[in-house]
Amino acid sequence: MNNVHSAVLDASTGWIILAIFSVIWIFLGWFWGRKAKKLDDFMLAGRNVGMALGTATAMATWVTSNTTLVAPQFALQLGIWGMLGYSLGAVGLILFAPLVKRIRSLVPHGYTSGDFIRLRYGVWTWRLFLLISMCYAIGWLISMGMAGGVLIHALTGIDYQYGMTVILIICVTYTLLGGLRAVIGTDFIQTILILIGIIILAVLTISEIGFEKMHEDVLTESPELLNLLMPAAIMFLFNNLLFGIGEIFHSNVWWSRAFAFREGVGSKAYLFAGIIWAPIPIVAGFIALSVSSLDLNVPAADMVGPMVAAKLLGFTGAVIVFVVVFSSLASSLDSLLAATSDLILQDIYRGHINPKASDEQLRRIAKIIIVLLGIVTWLICLPRIATLGSLLQYLGAFVASTIWPIAAGLYLKKANATGAFLAMLLGTLSGIWAFFSIGFYVAALVSAVVSMSIVLISMWLRPDNFEWSKLNEQPEQLTGEKSS
Amino acid sequence: MIVSSGFLSIMVMMALTVTIIAPIVLIILWIKDWIKGQLW
Repeated sequence: MNNVHSAVLDASTGWIILAIFSVIWIFLGWFWGRKAKKLDDFMLAGRNVGMALGTATAMATWVTSNTTLVAPQFALQLGIWGMLGYSLGAVGLILFAPLVKRIRSLVPHGYTSGDFIRLRYGVWTWRLFLLISMCYAIGWLISMGMAGGVLIHALTGIDYQYGMTVILIICVTYTLLGGLRAVIGTDFIQTILILIGIIILAVLTISEIGFEKMHEDVLTESPELLNLLMPAAIMFLFNNLLFGIGEIFHSNVWWSRAFAFREGVGSKAYLFAGIIWAPIPIVAGFIALSVSSLDLNVPAADMVGPMVAAKLLGFTGAVIVFVVVFSSLASSLDSLLAATSDLILQDIYRGHINPKASDEQLRRIAKIIIVLLGIVTWLICLPRIATLGSLLQYLGAFVASTIWPIAAGLYLKKANATGAFLAMLLGTLSGIWAFFSIGFYVAALVSAVVSMSIVLISMWLRPDNFEWSKLNEQPEQLTGEKSS
Repeated sequence: MIVSSGFLSIMVMMALTVTIIAPIVLIILWIKDWIKGQLW
């Protein structure tokens, strides 16, 4: 097998592309952000986002660099089910669609997912939820930052540390300038770039190699990749489904959009985004099956996508994959920065430290938090500590434990605080145990099953009779110790 | 249970078709929202 040097773009070309995108995103961030005068404008884009931008932002945020880099990795490791399992991540978006309507009607003045947990389950469950949410958000940020450095290094030879630093600086700057409005606006352009790039790569892979040869070569070298009964892959399928649902149900990235979309837009936007997201891991992932046909030696599984693109399309392929993954990274990084800073601002600063802070103060603190988040992410990303896939799957244990407390809390009066607290705590711990004892592909599955059992048993043993009107908190009523 | 090349091609082509339609629909929606002044 040939060793392909993946840096098919020279460093100067890489820097030029980075410079062009930096100027565009930062200018747009400033342009859209200059109208954000109030806190709602900065945090929630004025709570008036329409269908086109709403769909694109949900879609772009869910197409992370992990979709464009890890989907081919999973196709390489788990074959057909790797792609199909990853595409089941769309179920999370689709299932969240009806919840958005419910969230908007129950918590009309909310800012974050933490607001709901605090009002529904009280202070201690809220704090545990914040811990889970922060672990997830920081983990996702690290995974994005690392992916940025890896990609830039692989394609241009620019040092991992420099590439990762530049991507973080760009995203922090335009999120700082424009808040959620800048995030959503740039997401639309990034969505179009991602889709067009993936389409070009897929079409060229099909025309250069063809399904017959690809199938024949995989069958010769790694037939298990084409096996529909590959046990680990089937476990992965269910695990990924629950991981995706957990990520979306709990994360403030998705809740902040539920609050930001115009009345009547949220459900439709999430549903449509789910439908158009589902095929992306298949289209981005199947090109990894051409590794045998191309006689490629892939040194790191998460580099298979860029390497195939570079081998097949040379300079053009490298530029396309660079733009696609750069857009995927930016669209998720900016969303995470905005949503995580909202969570820290609203639930930690306003909820625990300064409940009487003015809008002006909160806007200033929001910007400080965005910068600090960028710095923390940068520091943790400096050493490359794990493969992208493993890092993400580890977080599945955390997020899957929140699915049932949130879903039951939104629809069932019987769901109670003790059950929700124990479900999140024991679900997470059991998921972590499963991760280390069995494998990454069952962490979310075990966590969700344990969490579900606890929520159901607690509703049976100690049913609550929650009054939904308690969720309709006016903004000026907020205090950190409101309920217990 | 090994899948055939036909299965692989149908699966990928179906996914690719939806992916090709997606940006077209998004741009149409954007124009519609923009005309109505409802982008955000």
